[in-house]
Amino acid sequence: MNRLLRSSAFTLAFSYVAFGIAALVLFAAPLWYAYYVTIQDARLEALRTDTQRLSEVFHRQGPPGLSTYIDNRVGMQIPGERILLLTDSTLHPLAGNLSAWPAVVPLEPGEYDLPVNLSGKDTRAMFVHSVLPGGYNLLVGRDQSLFAPLAARFWFGLAAAVAVLSIAGVVGGLMIRRAVLVRVDGIHHTVQAIVRGDWSHRLPAKAGSDELNTLSRTINGMLDQIEQLLHGVRDVSNSIAHDLRTPLAELRSRLEELSLTRPESEETFAEIDGAVVDVDRVILIFNALLRLAEIDTGMRRSGFVPVNAADIARQAVDFYLPAAELKGVTLSYRGTGATDISGDPVLLAQAIGNLIDNALKYTSAGGGISVEVQALADGKVQIAVADDGPGIPDEEKPKVSARFYRGDASRGTPGVGLGLTLVASVAKVHGGVLELGDNNPGLRANMVISAQSGNATGALQPALVEGRAGAAAAAHNLRMRSVS
Amino acid sequence: MKVLLVEDNERVTRFVVKGLQEAGHVADHADNGRDGMFLAASEPYDVIIMDRMLPGQIDGLAIIEALRKSGNRTPILILSALSDVDERIRGLKSGGDDYLTKPFAFGELLARLDALNRRVQGSGTQTSLRVGDLHIDLLSRKASRGARAIALQPQEFKLLEYLMRHAGQVVTRTMLLENVWDYHFDPQTNVVDVHISKLRQKIESDSERPLLRTVRNAGYMLTADE
Repeated sequence: MNRLLRSSAFTLAFSYVAFGIAALVLFAAPLWYAYYVTIQDARLEALRTDTQRLSEVFHRQGPPGLSTYIDNRVGMQIPGERILLLTDSTLHPLAGNLSAWPAVVPLEPGEYDLPVNLSGKDTRAMFVHSVLPGGYNLLVGRDQSLFAPLAARFWFGLAAAVAVLSIAGVVGGLMIRRAVLVRVDGIHHTVQAIVRGDWSHRLPAKAGSDELNTLSRTINGMLDQIEQLLHGVRDVSNSIAHDLRTPLAELRSRLEELSLTRPESEETFAEIDGAVVDVDRVILIFNALLRLAEIDTGMRRSGFVPVNAADIARQAVDFYLPAAELKGVTLSYRGTGATDISGDPVLLAQAIGNLIDNALKYTSAGGGISVEVQALADGKVQIAVADDGPGIPDEEKPKVSARFYRGDASRGTPGVGLGLTLVASVAKVHGGVLELGDNNPGLRANMVISAQSGNATGALQPALVEGRAGAAAAAHNLRMRSVS
Repeated sequence: MKVLLVEDNERVTRFVVKGLQEAGHVADHADNGRDGMFLAASEPYDVIIMDRMLPGQIDGLAIIEALRKSGNRTPILILSALSDVDERIRGLKSGGDDYLTKPFAFGELLARLDALNRRVQGSGTQTSLRVGDLHIDLLSRKASRGARAIALQPQEFKLLEYLMRHAGQVVTRTMLLENVWDYHFDPQTNVVDVHISKLRQKIESDSERPLLRTVRNAGYMLTADE
């Protein structure tokens, strides 16, 4: 019960009930005031009219005439309709339905609204007291208790409205709780399970598009992304262990061997040069990792400017052309359509450079590489680099853009295994994807990026920042040390 | 060349100061921002090497901004372990003239210092450049060696122009990538070397004296000297 009362559905229901009652009172109070004032005025006016009429009778027919008139009137009226009393100057009753002058009514003429005892009954009455020529007192009044049922009905109506509102609020609270909070509780339990480390849980989401279903689907998407990142981090740790340890191990053994064997200076120098090359390789891997972290945290989006994808690709082709010629590979460029986009020229150049680099590595003499940039119909721009090398087997395709992945065929060729990962990240930060397809024969790498670069995963970025920033900081520390 | 090094790491300091002295330069050193600021403001230097992150209240970029505000135009090379492109842009915006990421090869540092030093001396608009009998006209974009006209692609011309502007100095592959192509990454294949050898074939025929030399562990140098 306690838990029920604390649930936000009840807080919500209670606030609504309180608000409803406040509104009701605010509505009823002026109504009541207007009613009261109007009715009261009307009653007083009626008494004045009666007094006026009786005074006229007095003036025309004198005290005996008025006494007869009053007695006739008392005889005809329904009980309690009017209090009528005519007395002489000594307050001795001459006519009317009161046996004596009520003590509470002052002797001065005027209009009064007072509590009074009428024939043994405590009540409240309204009086108009006038003094007629000759010292006669005329009292015209009305017993207010006759109106009490009307007021009571008003208050009863108000109380009933409050009661109905309260009951409706409680029932509504229960229904909101059943409909909404039970589902929120479900989300709560799922998230708790995930916090405990069980990543297989997902929020229940039905097909509907109400807020909770939409929220559940969004959160599920976020969970998928985080889970994927977690796997990524795990993969990175393993890959770092392998690809970074190898040159470090070489370096270490080289230095240790030098330290143990103390060879001739000529040989020592050669070994030291070799050690510097090893270190440079480690630095290269670090730089690639840092650049990836930089891209993935979305920091580079500040570098977005209007650029022409075709210009960047053409320049990259020009840049790589001599290297391709030297290898006996043709490198051609073709661009169609409007390819102006909003993007980061530094990253795009590096991504296209990596793709051409990659294609050059796997294409043998006599082969050809083509770079094509074209505007697609849906406002996207496609940058494709196709070669006629050995290509990538279908089962390896999803893996090549993972960090440090290097196909079996590529062992022994230079490279740190981060090239395609970087291309995929650059495509992603530009609101696009990297697709690897067949060129029959060869590989066709398609980078499809959005011309406006509305980043689809933008909302997720803050979640990534922390993890990647940590990785970047670690790499940064290592770099500081390696320079020392 | 008189150089001021503001750097708090002892190893890096020793490595740089020793290297500079061996190359025949004079190097002063400050290991914190305050001393660095004081030396930079009171002594005339040809180039200042400024570490980005320094102990104490003043960091490298703040010193550079203060120096620039006080009218000091000494070329400054920023040394930093922060490699982001954004960091680099921030460094250059604060008034630095070049940006080098740690860890670095000494050859790279020296080449950049030389380039900064010469840039100040040889500034002014030129319409043609000459190294020995190699000549380029910057307005008509034409190159010639002696009486022989050399046909160059626009990219090759840009490369040659950069080399000639830094004649007699070592230029590294990274400097070429940054300044000729505006690329801020390491291509994994030796593309720059291929560009250089292609250019070399065009500017040096068999009978002509070599001008474009490869400097081991550093880069290239265009010079008419023996």
